[in-house]
Amino acid sequence: MRTFAAGYRLQFRVIRSDPDYLMPLATIPLFAVVFLAIVRHAGRDDLTEYALLAPVLIALWQLSLTVAGEIIADDRWQGTLEPAIAAPASFPTLVVGRVLAVTSVALVAFVEVWAVGAGLFGVSVEFHHPVAFVLAVGATALAMSGTALIMAALFVVTRSARTFQNSLSYPFYVLGGILVPVSFLPEWVQPASSAVFLSWSADLLRDSLAPAAVDNLAYRLAMVVVLGAAGFAVGRLTLERILRRVRRTGEVGLA
Amino acid sequence: MTALATTVNVMHHAFRAGLADYRAIFTWKSWLAGWMVRVIAQVAFFALIGERLGDDQKTFYLLVGNSILIAAVTGIFSLNMTTGERWAGTLPLLVASPSSPILVFSARGSYLAADGALSALAALFIAGPLFGMELPWPRVLAVVPLTAVVGLASYCFGTFLAGIVFRFRSINGLVVLTVTVLLMAACGVNVPLSYYPEALEWFSRVLPVTNGLLAIRGVLDGADTATILGNAALEAAVAVGWMTLALASFNRLASRGRRDGSLDYGA
Repeated sequence: MRTFAAGYRLQFRVIRSDPDYLMPLATIPLFAVVFLAIVRHAGRDDLTEYALLAPVLIALWQLSLTVAGEIIADDRWQGTLEPAIAAPASFPTLVVGRVLAVTSVALVAFVEVWAVGAGLFGVSVEFHHPVAFVLAVGATALAMSGTALIMAALFVVTRSARTFQNSLSYPFYVLGGILVPVSFLPEWVQPASSAVFLSWSADLLRDSLAPAAVDNLAYRLAMVVVLGAAGFAVGRLTLERILRRVRRTGEVGLA
Repeated sequence: MTALATTVNVMHHAFRAGLADYRAIFTWKSWLAGWMVRVIAQVAFFALIGERLGDDQKTFYLLVGNSILIAAVTGIFSLNMTTGERWAGTLPLLVASPSSPILVFSARGSYLAADGALSALAALFIAGPLFGMELPWPRVLAVVPLTAVVGLASYCFGTFLAGIVFRFRSINGLVVLTVTVLLMAACGVNVPLSYYPEALEWFSRVLPVTNGLLAIRGVLDGADTATILGNAALEAAVAVGWMTLALASFNRLASRGRRDGSLDYGA
């Protein structure tokens, strides 16, 4: 836990000195304009919440994945990756703490999106189930950080991971149903969507904004957390295996 | 060697260097499994919004707009070139050489315009039928050169922006990210230009994508040839305009960098 907290604190300091980490947040108001324009031009005001939530999920996803990769790349560039790996503290736990710090800051996207909605389109969102909403946001942030560890593992082993990092956006926005519910996808895709925590998060967040009662809240929250934990487990296992290998071959700074 | 032959020689070598860059980034496998999967998913994401709206015409509108946007996004990536040269330490050498840096940059990144057009067309011709959109044959062939013009115009715009951020490399990534989403928001990609205030409509007309996309929509909707050619000519004029501005900004900023020795140390 101390390693996790240290990583969390460290990343806040890094962000203060290098705001580039938060760059994707600059695009979020524009995404909000795009999505709101689409649904309102079509006269579908009932989809306003969908249009407002999607940019927030995009922000969380982009920041988590980008930062997880950049942490490794930057540490390697600065020559601090080797000492960090050699330290007795768990490196995967440190990375998750750092990613969660950025994910926490990414929640600023809520403010951006709400400002665009109210300022440009005159729409506001009513939180019909605030407790469910807050719990869903927390579980999503945790799951994002856990999943991002897989990307960190890839960055240790290969520099070309950036090519794939760029490709992990829209496929997961589709599978995760961040704007269009999974039920609109072809049937053969839907089982894959169920394995993506984003699909559970997006549905739960949307339901928590709707007037109707939120069904199966505990189960759906648990699914987000379990899938995030599975991502963390896979990431941790991969990362530890890769670290053992690059320590042996002396390729930590060179892979 | 005549001046023209020298220019062609420089551009030829710059183009080959660009291709080598590209091969270092992508193999054909990673291009297909990484880049193209993302491209198709991006177009499908927006087409699915149309399905959610329950309107086929909206689905096709979003599908066409976001397919063609891919050409622009790739073209805008030319912004990364100056930063890449700077990190590699080759920018001062490039500026010190007797050739104009703009010649090198315009040739070196031209593969981006070609790649963008190819990706956009692949997206349209794959995602279109997947969502049940009819592509009128043989009229749809006219979309190919029009998409190339959009890719070129975006590349020229990206090269102009590269000149602007020449001395401020720290904002390079920010400019790439925001400009690509700005084009998505303002150029009639997702909603007609008439949805926005008139001033924004005029602004979007000088951006890449807008006019070319209108021409492409005209081809697919069976508009008259004069309208299509008019919009295509406007897109080409936008390309020429941005490249002219790129020439001006690059040379001025390069001269300033030579004078104050800041080429390696810009913020």
